[in-house]
Amino acid sequence: MHKINSFIFFVLLLIVCFTSANSILADSSSFSLPPLNINILSKQTLNGIAGDYVTVSAEITNISQKTITNITTYLSMADEETKLPVDLEDWSAEKGLFIGTIDSKQKLPLDWKIHFVKPGKYSLIVIAEINGENQPLTSNITHFTVSPKHNLNPGQVLPVALGMPLFLLIIMMFATYIRRAKS
Amino acid sequence: MFKYILVTELQASLYTWKSTVWFLITSAIFSFTSYLFLTDKELSLLDQTEMLWLISKIIIGTALLIITVDASNTINAEFEKETAESLFLTPLTTKDFVLGKLLASLALWIAIYLISIPYIIVVSAGSHLTFAFVIYVLMLGTMIILGFQMMIFGISFLFRSSKNTLTTSLIILLALVIPATFSSTLKNNSLSHFLSVINPVDNVFSSLDNVLVDYKIAISSNLLYIIPVLIFCLAAFTFMLYSIKLFKRSGIVNKD
Repeated sequence: MHKINSFIFFVLLLIVCFTSANSILADSSSFSLPPLNINILSKQTLNGIAGDYVTVSAEITNISQKTITNITTYLSMADEETKLPVDLEDWSAEKGLFIGTIDSKQKLPLDWKIHFVKPGKYSLIVIAEINGENQPLTSNITHFTVSPKHNLNPGQVLPVALGMPLFLLIIMMFATYIRRAKS
Repeated sequence: MFKYILVTELQASLYTWKSTVWFLITSAIFSFTSYLFLTDKELSLLDQTEMLWLISKIIIGTALLIITVDASNTINAEFEKETAESLFLTPLTTKDFVLGKLLASLALWIAIYLISIPYIIVVSAGSHLTFAFVIYVLMLGTMIILGFQMMIFGISFLFRSSKNTLTTSLIILLALVIPATFSSTLKNNSLSHFLSVINPVDNVFSSLDNVLVDYKIAISSNLLYIIPVLIFCLAAFTFMLYSIKLFKRSGIVNKD
């Protein structure tokens, strides 16, 4: 009887060890490092004035041991004052950059040209989606400020905008004077 | 007699209180929009080419409205003031009568165009598109306005009433201008596309878009848009001739 109980206990212990080992192996991927590292290089140079065109430069590095294919990278921006995401179409940003293949330990540059449309404080990240993976990868957040543009006479428009109606008014008054003088 | 009609009509078009007030208001519209585009914190961030395209539409749209109002009254004034009968008793031919009034009305467009030139220059500064802008607005504006004038003259000979001519002309103008201002997303289906192709105002705006935004300056690149406008002018001319024929058949004093 004692021998049978020991045997049953040993079998149960084996089953528990086996299932634990399986679950540990299954969860092992959650403890591995992300395969790509994304770094925004132009952190210090993004501040500007509304109307400026700036380039967001980033770098993507494959830090895994294998080649990765079909990566889509794109920008995501949020307005820190309104706490709302920014529609990048208004900022004329390129939609996304596609990387067909990136070899192990390879670094690739990523550049986006954006147009500062509205003054304010913003945060920006780069997102990478690997085809077939459920979890996107992101860079660190970069914060930048767009200052308002103050220009009352861009392109010397004021002399024309004010001058033309005045000029026509003078002509109108002169024509009226001539007409009255004739009559 | 043609010269007499032309000089009289030119004075009426350009040398009266009415026309000088129109020019002043036109200049104020151009001043406001130019200043707004260049300084407004949102609109000044448009691409310069988009800005040029918007301003070209404003120039042609304003001119179309003014010419429609003026041309609606040009011929009907003779019938309503009852001066048509005495005018046609002179050696004046219908051809000279119509041509004199047409050229005088066209001079109003030329005056509006000349007013717009300083604005064109200042808004297009630095874009290398100033010359193309000036030439294409003149060419396309003249074609569309000539077409509209001939169409309105044709309506005038049929209705012989300023009020009816003006109402009909404005409705036609709205019917052509409103669809032309729709964005491209609303023109995706086959019916909208067909209407865009036959709409002369839409073709003028599309040609200006082609030149100013897409940098396709050559005439050959814009033939697709110019030809429908020319067809519109031809159709308007034919309509005007037909109306004049009906007018001659019914007589100066309307037998109806």
